[in-house]
Amino acid sequence: MRVLIVDDETLARSILREHLAKIPSVEIVGEAANGFEAVKLAEELNPELVFLDIQMPKLSGFEVLELLGERAPTVIFTTAYDEFALRAFEVHAVDYLLKPVEPARLAGAVERAAERLRSKTPAPSAHDLAVSARPPGRTLERILIRHEGRVHVLPLERIDFIEAQDDYLEFSCGGKRLRKQQTMTDLESQLDATRFVRIHRSFILNVERLARIDLYGKDSWLAILSDGSKLPMSRTGHAKLKELIG
Amino acid sequence: MHPILKRRSRLFLYLAVWIVFGLLLTVVFIFGGRAPPLWSVYFAVPMAMLLGMQSLSFWYLVQSMPPGETPIVRMVVSWVGAGLASLIVWLVIGYMWAQYLLPDDVDIADEAAGILGLMIFAGAIGISLAVLGHYLAGAFERSRNAERRALELQVLAREAELKSLRAQLDPHFLFNSLNSVAALIGNDTAAARQMCFLMAQFFRKSLTLGREQAIPLSEEVGLAQTFLAIERVRFGERLRSKFDIAADVRDVVVPPLFLQPLVENAVHHGVAHLLEGGEVCVTARRREGFVELVVENPCDPDRPPSRGTGVGLANVRSRVETLCGHRASVDVSATDEKFRVSILLPYSGANAAELRATA
Repeated sequence: MRVLIVDDETLARSILREHLAKIPSVEIVGEAANGFEAVKLAEELNPELVFLDIQMPKLSGFEVLELLGERAPTVIFTTAYDEFALRAFEVHAVDYLLKPVEPARLAGAVERAAERLRSKTPAPSAHDLAVSARPPGRTLERILIRHEGRVHVLPLERIDFIEAQDDYLEFSCGGKRLRKQQTMTDLESQLDATRFVRIHRSFILNVERLARIDLYGKDSWLAILSDGSKLPMSRTGHAKLKELIG
Repeated sequence: MHPILKRRSRLFLYLAVWIVFGLLLTVVFIFGGRAPPLWSVYFAVPMAMLLGMQSLSFWYLVQSMPPGETPIVRMVVSWVGAGLASLIVWLVIGYMWAQYLLPDDVDIADEAAGILGLMIFAGAIGISLAVLGHYLAGAFERSRNAERRALELQVLAREAELKSLRAQLDPHFLFNSLNSVAALIGNDTAAARQMCFLMAQFFRKSLTLGREQAIPLSEEVGLAQTFLAIERVRFGERLRSKFDIAADVRDVVVPPLFLQPLVENAVHHGVAHLLEGGEVCVTARRREGFVELVVENPCDPDRPPSRGTGVGLANVRSRVETLCGHRASVDVSATDEKFRVSILLPYSGANAAELRATA
C-alpha cells in the first residue's frame, strides 16, 4: 500500500515512519511538512493512504482533504488532542490516531484502511467533516479556492462580494475574481450572518464594503460598494441588510 | 462619586449632623449674641445646612491631595485658601439671608456687626470639622478600597494559578511533547533524556511559581525559556527565540506566570502557523519610570489574529491593572504580519514593596 505522511513536525513524521517500516504491506512514497505540500504530493504521487495531521500551518488537515476533493485517498487523521475533531471522526466513522501513536493501533488502522480500499468504501465528505469538527458558534474564517491550478487561501475579510454563476461561485476581492464550485445556500449557511448578507438571489455582500444604498426602482435597490461597484438588491435582501445595519 | 451622595441614608445622617450644628449655633446666638430666639433658629439652622452642602465639595480636594503623598506646605496653603473662600461665600449668603429675614425697619448693619464675629468663629469651626471629617472618611474609603483590591488580586492570582495548571495540562502541549519523546527514543536517546528533563523542569517550575504572589522577573523569564526549549524540540528550526533582558530589570518583581502565557500565545497562535516559522522576541528594559516588557512574534496574514489569544491576554491585563492600577498598561498591536504585546509596569521601590505586601 502506497502511503503518504503529512505532519509539520519532523519528529512526529519520524515516529510514524519508524512504526510503518515494520508493516510489510506499507510502502512510504512521500512525506509532506505542510498542507500545500500535502495537496501537491497527494496529486503527484497518487498514494492510497494518507496519514494527515490536523493542526498544520496554512492549511489544516480538513482543508487539505477539502482541496483534494474526489481525488482524496483514504485518510487516517493524526492528532494530539482536539475534542471537536474527535467527535466529528466518531460521527463520520473516520479513522484517527492519537499522539503519541501506539504501534498496535497504527497496525490496526492500516489494516482497516486496506479493507476499505478493497471494498471501495466511499470516503466521507470532507466538507461535512470540516463542518462538524468546527467548535460550536464558530463560523467559517477563510475560503479555499483552487484557481488555475493554484491554491488560494482567502480570509473572509478580504472578500468584497460573492456572485453566483451557473454552477459555481465567483469571489470578488480587490478587483480579482476567483471561482469555486459550491452552491450559494451551502456557503451562506457557513458564513457569519452579521458580516455577510445575501442581498439577492445571486449575491452575498460583505457588509463592511457597503458605502450606500440607492433606490433603483419600485421594490429594488442598488448596493454601492466603497470601490464603486454596484450590486442589485432584492426586497428581502434590503430588509435583511436594513435590520443588520439599522 | 461622592461617598455621601452615593446613598440617601448617608446624606440624611450628614444633614442631621449639620442641623445639630445649626441648633448649637442658635444657642450661641441667643446667649452670646442676644438675638431673638425664633429669628436665631430661622437664621442659624439653614445657614448650618448651607455650610454642610458647601463642605461636600471638600471631598474632591481630599481626593486630589491624599495625606502622606502631598507636600505639607501645599496642603496647608490649599486648605487655608479653600476654607477662606468657603467661609466668605458663606458669610455673604448669610448676610443676604439675614437681610431677608429681618423686618424692613431694622438696620441690617447694626445687627450684622453684632453677630459677625460669632459667624466667623462658627464658620471656621464648622469648616475645620468638615475638612477633618472628610479626611477621616477618605482614609476609611481608601482602606476599604485597598481591602477590595487585595481581594480582587487574590481572586485573579487564583485564576492565573488555575490557568497555569491547565496550561501544564494543556493536552496539546503534553501529548505532542510525549510524542516527541517517543520519537526521540528511537533515534536520539540523549535528546529524549534532555526533553524529559526540560518537561520535568517546566512542570516543577510552574507548580512552585504559581503558588507565589510575586517573583523576580528573571524567574519568569526562565520559565518562558524552558517552555520555548520544549517547543523547539517539536518545531525544530521553525521556532526561534530572542531574549533581551536588561540587567537592571532582572530583579524587578512581577506577578508569576504572566510572561509565560504571552510566549505560549506567540508560539501557538503565531509561529506555529507559519511555514518558515519565525522568531519570538522578548525584551525587558527600563523606560523612564517604568519597566517595559515586550513580546513580539510574526503571524500569518491569512489568519485572523483574534483566534483564541483573548483569554490569556485578558487575564494578564486584569492582573497587571489590578496590581498597579492606572500606572500600568497593557498594549496590544496587531498588524498583518506582526503581533506585539507591550506591558508597562511602574519601576519604583514602592511598586516592589506593594507587590511584596500582597504576598
